[in-house]
This record gives sequence, C-alpha cells and structure tokens, in this order.
Amino acid sequence: MNIVKIENLVKRYGDTTALDHFELEVREGEIFGLLGPNGSGKTTAINCMLALLKYDRGSVQVLGKEMAPDEYDIKRQIGIVMQDVAVFEELNVYDNIDYFCSLYVKDKKRRRELTEEAIRFAGLSDYRRSYPKKLSGGLLRRLNIACGIAHKPRLIILDEPTVAVDPQSRNRILEGICELNRQGSTVIYTSHYMEEIEQICTRIAIMDHGRSIAVGTKEELKSMIKTGETVTIEAVLLDREDLADIRELPHVFDVRYEDQCLTVRCTRAKHNLIHILGFLQEKDIPFGRVFSELPTLNDVFLEITGKQLRD
Amino acid sequence: MWELIRYSFLTKVRDLSLIFWPFLFPLALATAMYFSIGQMEEADFETIPAAVVSRADRAGDPFLTYMEAAEESTGMTDLQVMSEEEAETALHNGEIDGIFYSGEVPSLTVSGSGFPESILQMLLESYTESRQTLKDVEELHPEGLEAAAAEMAAYGSVTEEVSLGGKTTDGTAQFFYALIGMACLYGCFIGCRSSMELQANLSALAARRCVSPVHRLRWILSETVVSFGLHLINMLALLAYMKYILRLEFAGSYAAMLPVIFLGSMIGVTMGMFITSIGKMGEGVKIGIMIGVSMTLSFLAGLMSTGIKNVIDKNVPLLNRVNPAALISDALYCLNVYDAPERYAQDLTALAVLCVLLLTGTFLIVRRECYASI
Repeated sequence: MNIVKIENLVKRYGDTTALDHFELEVREGEIFGLLGPNGSGKTTAINCMLALLKYDRGSVQVLGKEMAPDEYDIKRQIGIVMQDVAVFEELNVYDNIDYFCSLYVKDKKRRRELTEEAIRFAGLSDYRRSYPKKLSGGLLRRLNIACGIAHKPRLIILDEPTVAVDPQSRNRILEGICELNRQGSTVIYTSHYMEEIEQICTRIAIMDHGRSIAVGTKEELKSMIKTGETVTIEAVLLDREDLADIRELPHVFDVRYEDQCLTVRCTRAKHNLIHILGFLQEKDIPFGRVFSELPTLNDVFLEITGKQLRD
Repeated sequence: MWELIRYSFLTKVRDLSLIFWPFLFPLALATAMYFSIGQMEEADFETIPAAVVSRADRAGDPFLTYMEAAEESTGMTDLQVMSEEEAETALHNGEIDGIFYSGEVPSLTVSGSGFPESILQMLLESYTESRQTLKDVEELHPEGLEAAAAEMAAYGSVTEEVSLGGKTTDGTAQFFYALIGMACLYGCFIGCRSSMELQANLSALAARRCVSPVHRLRWILSETVVSFGLHLINMLALLAYMKYILRLEFAGSYAAMLPVIFLGSMIGVTMGMFITSIGKMGEGVKIGIMIGVSMTLSFLAGLMSTGIKNVIDKNVPLLNRVNPAALISDALYCLNVYDAPERYAQDLTALAVLCVLLLTGTFLIVRRECYASI
C-alpha cells in the first residue's frame, strides 16, 4: 500500500519553480530516502506533503486520502522532525517531549509512558530535567527527534535531522530511525548526505531542480547507470598515447587524468582493475596508491545530471 | 485544551523578555516617575485640607458660602472653619495646606509651594472673579446668596466642560495614566510571541505545531486566552503596585478602572499579534516596530510630556480618538479627575471598537493553515 502518493506536483515561487511535476510513491513499512543537493526541493516537497504549503498543481495523498490542512485524522498519524530544531527553550527535555506528545495523545497515563519511552529511545535519560540551551548540538537534535516521534506515528518524516551533528550522535540517530522502522513506522528521510541515505534507506528518490530524476533501491539506482566500477590510481605519469590506450581497454568508457591522478570508469565486469594494472605493468609505468570503488549514489547523480551531488 | 493553555502559560512566564517589557519595565518606570514627581502626585489624588478664618457672621459670609459650595461640588478640598490662632497652629503642624481669610478682600496663606497650594490659589482667584456678582446678589437678594454661590462654585460642571475642550487640570496624574496606557500596549510583546508560535511561516516551532492534529481555532483561542490573561495579571500587578507600594490614591474606584485595563490589555496583546503576523520580517525587526509603535502612541498620549496630548486634542482630535494609549489615559482621567461618565463611556466604546478591529484583523491572518511560502 502507498502511504504517500504525490502526482504531478508543481510549486512555484514567482519565477522560480521549486517543484517541477514532482512524483513520489512511498510504500508502507519502508524507509524512503529523498536525496538531493541543497535547494533541490526536498523540504518544499515535505511541506506540500504536510499541507503547510500551497501548490500550483498536482495532488498529494497521504494514508490514502487527499491531504489538506484540516485533515486532522491524517495528521494524528504523522510525526515530523523539522530541519531546524523546533523545541521550547523554556521547557526542559521531559516537558518538551510531553508537550508535543500531548498534541496527539490525550490520555495522561499513556502519554507519560510514551514520553518516558521517547526519552530512553533518544538516549536523553540523563538530561530529562535539562533545558535545551544546556544541551550539545547532538543532544538537541535527539530531543528534536524525540519530540517528533514520541506519539508513535505511523508515518515519520525526518527532514535533514543530522545537519551539524557529530558522528557519534549521527550514528545513534540513524540506528534509532531503523529501530522506529522495525517497530512499524514508515519513514521518509530527506538528506543531502548520500552515505546516510545509502546506509538506512530501503528505497531512494533522487531529486534535482524540483524533479524526481531516479527512484528505486540503491541497487536499482546503481544499475541504472553505466558505471560499474571506478578505478583511481595516484602518482602515475602518463602521456596522451598511454591515455588513448587505456581508453581502448575492455569495459573502460571514461578516462580522466588530472594532477598525475588517473580515474578510470568501467562498466560492470570482472577484472577491470587487473586489466588496467596489467597495462601499466606492461608499459613499465610506475604508480602510487590504487583504489577501486563500486558506484555510489553520487555516481548515479553525476551520470544523470552531469554534476556532483556535493556541488 | 488545558495542556495547551498550561504549557503556553509556562513558556511565556519563563521567557525573560516577556517578564521584563510588559511587567518589570512599567513597574520600574512607575517607580522612577513616583520619585521624580512624587511630591506632586500625592496632591493629585488626595483632598486638600485647608482652613477658613471667617471674619464675618458665618451665615452672611459670601466667601465662606462660596468655599463650602466649592468643597461640596468638587470634593477637592477639606475645609474647616477655625479661629485664626487654631488655623495658624494647624498650618504650622502641617495639618492643613493653607488658610483662607474671608473678609472684604479674602486672602490665602500657605506654608509652601506645590500642587495643593496651587489648587487653593485657584479657588481664591475663582472667588475673586465672582465676588462682584455675589456682592450684588447679597445686596439685592440676600435670600438667594447661598444658591448663587453654589451655582458659581459648581466646579463639577466646569471641570467637565474643560475636559471636553481638551484641557487638563492635573498634569502629574496624566503621566501615570499614560504609563498605564503604555503598559497596556506593552502586551504586544506577549502577543508577538504568540503569533510567532502560531504561524508556520514565521518559525519552525509554529510549523511543527501546525502539522499536529490540533484544530486551528484551539491554537488561536488558547494563545489569545493565555496572552491576554497573563497581561491582565501584569496590569493588575501594576495597579496594585501603584496603590499599595507607591501609595498612589486614585480618586475613582479601582473596580471602575478594570474595564479600561481589560480592554487595554486585550488591545496590547492583539496589536502585537497583528503586527507580528503581517509580513515575513525577522522577529527582531518586528519587536523594533512594536517598541516604536507603542512608544509613539504613549508619547502622543502624554507619557513624556503632558502638553502633547492637549496639543493633539486641540489640533488633531481624531488622533487621540484612535490612539489606544490616549484613550486609556483619557478614560482613567475621566474616572479619577473629571468624573465625566459620558466621556468615559465614549473612551470605552472606542477602545472596544479598536479591540474588535485588531482581533478580527489578527484572526483573519493567523487562522491560515496553508502558506504560499515558508
């Protein structure tokens, strides 16, 4: 079942098109990653999905119904973690979580249980009476997440929840998201960090200029592109003739040589590295360190858009 | 709903800027004013004790008749007929502020210079201006002397007319009334915070609240109730501080001031919500605008110079009829100085209309749940 279905969504800010016939389908039970560079339209898509933003064209269905600002039954089943930390400075950790939980859960006893659970989940037990300004950036992000998920929503939307977070907190957050998914929540996770998306998401949509340019599992996405392996060799001296010969090697389709560093992209095949090293050995060309990498989401983005995801 | 109200109240009372501007700052300003013009204010709110030394037969003394009539009609003085010796002793002991000597040419002896003495001087001058008329009445119709004196000393109606013409008789009181007006408007800081937390296009916190399943009207209602309630407490505390700590005795009843404070607090809060809800400027800019607006309105209401309000009353009266600070100040003045219930009612009506307009405008803006941009 599709828990979110967005069709032909267009959102314009004056002359700028933030969402350009954007399409999205998120299935129940998955961790769906929305990957794209800053300004690609991820947050705009989320805000439209939540009926916070008006859009010019298209439709947004959440939990099988057309989403609207007054669809409180749908909203009750959604948990949102905003990109900016959205907690009360004047309330301590416990009260913040309790407050946001109270917007969804009326029963006091149940709410107390859920709040305690969220505190444990976010690893904030030692800080339950601390105020947000006393928390580190990582702890604050964890509080932000705890406030969004305490009511155990069916759909959790996390908009860049790990921005400016230390690696330890980031790992904890990512593990937590997987745990929430295991507990039954569907997760939509937006980020411009492809490593995070690769690590936790079961399906991924890559966005650029307000469009969804590729959707699938990470394996499906990688299979969409020509690159099967990227070989990088440092400290190697080559002339034009050598480069031309390397281009002629089997499965090689792109060769770049810059600052004595050779980058060779090959299609999916066995022994690509052996062929390249064999060539250098045959020509008696010395070389430094050698790396062989399988394609990343950045390669997918690069091949589809012609630019790096990190640009 | 209760949780919304409880947490909204908690967050607001723990916000230092919301404690300082609408609560502590007016208290500090009232204290500073009290110490700077304290001597004068005491006279503003209390009756002035004075003695009359009658040198003629009491029943036929037009001056005494006039002064007694003035005392009855204005309530500004507390006159006692004494012998010259008693009066001088009382003046020496500070029991009275002045001694009127009746006679062919009545005179006044005072022990100092201040607002009470000025009032006594004013009464004497008033009698002097009316003396010839009273003398004529005494000669031609002695039986009507008392009635004539009472008519001429009817300060109540005189002061009422003065107020409608825009002149005030009490400069120092106006400072405190304008201060109460300013304090009411400073509820805008509480309203500002409410608005920031209501509109998703203004803060991430508001966006998070907007996507929750709480009905929009509940948000607006809970925020308005808490903001207004909190500011009403601020204002009642300010009045209590003026009454019990500074010991300012307003002539009118405190209960009668409540409708003014009630509407004034509401206007302050909704003004803040309204200003904050329009446009997408930063919070700092909006706070700057609010300080500018509230201080300008308070200045025009006579917070810094009592003359300003009178000048506006004479030249641009409409401005004072739409300036909430001036309306609050004027309504309090009506209660405590003029005793002009009609004008008081007019002020209250104008305040209520302003309040409804601001509430409607604010509601129309903050009720939105879906935005063109965030």
